[in-house]
Amino acid sequence: MPKDAQHAPETLLDVRNLSVDFRTPRGRVKALRDITFPIRKNRIVGIVGESGSGKSTVLWALLGLLAKNAEVMGGEARFGDRDLLKASEAQLRATRGEEISVVFQDPMTSQIPVLTYGRQMLDILYRRPDVSAAEKRRMAVDMLAKVGIPDPDKRIDQYPHHFSGGMRQRAGIAMALLTGPQLLLADEPTTALDVTMEAQIIHLLQDLQKELDATVVVVSHNLGLIAELCDDVVVMYAGEVIEAGDVREIFHNAQHPYTRALLECDPARIDDVSRKLPVIPGDIPDLTRALSGCIYAPRCQRAMPVCRTETPPDVRRGEMSQARCHLLEGPHHDPDWPPPLDVMTVGAGETSASKPARAVSDKPLLEVSDLNVQFETVGPLRARLKGIDQRHVDAVLDVSLSVAPGETVGLVGESGSGKTTLGRCVLNLVQAQGGSVRFEGQDTLNMPEGRFKPLRRDMAMMFQDPVGSFSPRKSVRALITEPFQIHGVTDVDLDAEAERLAEMVRLPKPFLSRYPHELSGGQARRVGVARALALNPKLIIADEPTAGLDVSVQGEILNLMADLQAEHGLGYLIITHNLPVVRHIADRLAIMYLGRIVEEGRTDEVFARPVHPYTKALVEGVPQPDPDRRRAHVSISGEVPSLLNRPKGCDFAGRCPIAQDRCRAEKPPHVTMADGRRHACHFPIGQ
Amino acid sequence: MSENRSESETGVPAVDATGLPDHVTESEIRESAARERREKLRMFLTNWQGLTGLILVTVFFASAIFAPWLAPYDPNALDVPARLSGPTLEHLAGTDQLGRDTLSRILYGGRVALYIAAIGVSVSLVIGLILGMIAGFGPRWLDSLLLLLFDTVRSFPTIVLALATVALTGPSLTVVLAIVIITSIPQYARVARTATLTLKNTDFILAERSLGAGMTRTLLHHVMPNVVGPLLILAAMEVPVVVTVEAGLSFLGLGVTPPTASWGTILNEGYLVIRDAPWMVIAGGIPLILTTLGFTFLGEALRDIFDPRMGKGR
Repeated sequence: MPKDAQHAPETLLDVRNLSVDFRTPRGRVKALRDITFPIRKNRIVGIVGESGSGKSTVLWALLGLLAKNAEVMGGEARFGDRDLLKASEAQLRATRGEEISVVFQDPMTSQIPVLTYGRQMLDILYRRPDVSAAEKRRMAVDMLAKVGIPDPDKRIDQYPHHFSGGMRQRAGIAMALLTGPQLLLADEPTTALDVTMEAQIIHLLQDLQKELDATVVVVSHNLGLIAELCDDVVVMYAGEVIEAGDVREIFHNAQHPYTRALLECDPARIDDVSRKLPVIPGDIPDLTRALSGCIYAPRCQRAMPVCRTETPPDVRRGEMSQARCHLLEGPHHDPDWPPPLDVMTVGAGETSASKPARAVSDKPLLEVSDLNVQFETVGPLRARLKGIDQRHVDAVLDVSLSVAPGETVGLVGESGSGKTTLGRCVLNLVQAQGGSVRFEGQDTLNMPEGRFKPLRRDMAMMFQDPVGSFSPRKSVRALITEPFQIHGVTDVDLDAEAERLAEMVRLPKPFLSRYPHELSGGQARRVGVARALALNPKLIIADEPTAGLDVSVQGEILNLMADLQAEHGLGYLIITHNLPVVRHIADRLAIMYLGRIVEEGRTDEVFARPVHPYTKALVEGVPQPDPDRRRAHVSISGEVPSLLNRPKGCDFAGRCPIAQDRCRAEKPPHVTMADGRRHACHFPIGQ
Repeated sequence: MSENRSESETGVPAVDATGLPDHVTESEIRESAARERREKLRMFLTNWQGLTGLILVTVFFASAIFAPWLAPYDPNALDVPARLSGPTLEHLAGTDQLGRDTLSRILYGGRVALYIAAIGVSVSLVIGLILGMIAGFGPRWLDSLLLLLFDTVRSFPTIVLALATVALTGPSLTVVLAIVIITSIPQYARVARTATLTLKNTDFILAERSLGAGMTRTLLHHVMPNVVGPLLILAAMEVPVVVTVEAGLSFLGLGVTPPTASWGTILNEGYLVIRDAPWMVIAGGIPLILTTLGFTFLGEALRDIFDPRMGKGR
């Protein structure tokens, strides 16, 4: 590859006027319309968009792997001297894997569970009959080493289930790169991973791209990841490319109102902590209907009458940059658009009076102290036979926590940190082995269900996956009125209650007769909130309340939760790994690692001056949606150890940059500092 | 935030922030549900297996129910001069060694088959569903106990168990029915148990628990609607098994007592005279084959359409 390609990037894959339809029982869905963008050689191109924008469909169309009901309506995808859209199946097979390869979102389901990595990687090289099996294996081992898998010559003989999530994604990248492809497509490569793993994968992709002179296309909804990783950015909305350009242009000088709005909605970008997050009102348009004018007009803050009738012009600046908006060119050109970055173009949804001074009373609503939850790993008989002493693992270890009425406490940790178990234990859904849980002064730990049931009216849970937490054959009306039936509240009119709750969470009435699978992510969240609030609880435990939501919708849900809190004095325990979000909504934070709380304190203090090295790593681990604030190094290496082999000393010692011998030998106790913060570290930062 | 947000600046009035399209109305939602139902029906009717199955099963039901009107003769009426006749205009399917009209006996025999199939399948389905849900949802010791019971029952071959029981009680349709029910309960129960077990760890059952729903409510309102579908499909495929078991036992002389007509007894009697009058075996076998095929086709078509995991990609 010529070195000067860096200076004048030539186009590796040119997508022009690509249109794809899906035939569905509801009619034709015009999923992609007139998609045009170049993929320039040796660049990392990010395709960003919310769910339903068609960003993944572009990838599958390029690979000829669209679902059976899809139809390519036109356009071309010039890759070298071929048009991928018109290539025969045999030509595509020769291209896929050899010249263009894919890294999938979920390494769990995209790898073959019954074959070792060695076998899978040998299979990938099946088109090389002249290379001996030993040589192929050597290539595979080299590639595994390159993606940072330790002991590759041993681990290559292991199966996918022997690998942790992050390692599996590394192996997935190794498999994609094994044939030396010119183009690597990555579909949401970090979505299934934790924050610290995500940072590692971003850096790995960056290093590999440089080392192998490859061209990478990353599809993601995560603006931070795009800003951190990509050179060029393509912004998609409802099946159209509405803006494209260099990463700095997009993040610092976005031209299209949608791009602007999207950036403004990202909580990581909003520096001043506010409880009201901006939202883009409205919903993605129904693509089965006839479309006219600008696709974004119904949601656009700057929409003019002309936007609804006339297709906006594609305004091009240079080879890559384009934006599609009436504001930029033509008779409706606005010279003052776009406004400077510090002017907000989208509002925070319905204005409700800013947060009133909350009645945080001294008496805690929920008080957890020294809680221990253990899970059995080996049955008693087998333990006896095999001489295993330790039959249990500690999922939650010595956790103390309190939530006052009207207060929001964020419980933050990576997967496997025991935060969900803690939440379930508070709700008496998991048995605890020690400690105490007090709800309004009453000890509720391991209370028999019969006595606990009345308390369930006062505590409610919001689940991570709202659709999954609804009985699939019940209508929304039945779902949100069920709490009344369960608790024998018969003196209310259920239909009226259903309407009251729907109105409270701003869910239009017709949705009451829908079924869970007919709801969008945001709508399902609303139903989840309505259901949790049905009986006017005092405490809500929300497990990842914004997981799977697009940035434009996540603000609405959080604002709704904040409004309801102000109105009813609810206490929230929010379980999440999303630091940018929790920073805006939580009063206090508790950081959990491997079942222990390692730091606890006021949110602003924890963010400003983290005391525990793990907290520091987490705070720094969030990719910033600003290409000028890229991190030079990975803030934290390694992975969360398994609960089965909990370190003897500090749980974090193995990954800690400042760990010393003492950390590996003795577990740090919880220490309360002068300002009321608590931590568990032998060498707290800045002390 | 409030200072950043100023609507006069952007010149756009406040937009309702529900984030939901206002154009969706209740009638549209109903329409989409109706469309889905129509789509399912269309899939069913264009599936040749489903259509054939449906026709065969309808014919079976109709002929059994309307046997007294359809049958040309009393099934037990003797026409001695015409005994062992082949198909003639008078006796379309011939007669047996006593001169009884085979067609009439087949039609009446269908009633026995329908009786056994309807009662046998529905009773075992209900019991199996309840036991299966309890096994899947209840404590582990109960699950193990019920599983042991199911396996014990299943380890007896139906026919052998029936032979042993009938040896004690004498031939009787009720005994056959009881044996059929007892031996097919474990199948339903196992399917219901497995489905319940997978549901047990889903979020929505946990959500019900977190709301305070008791076991009865959870099972009846939330588990059953999700478990019963596969069981109904299983039931459709189980009908021919029950019909053949009845025919088999009657063939061996253990089921219905003479002179009651049943497909099994027709085959049995035909078998004795197969060299002289093969039509009886043929005439008795055809409805058995067609009914079995009909229900199997119907069951498979239902499974393809309603079980998304198996139905997709066809």
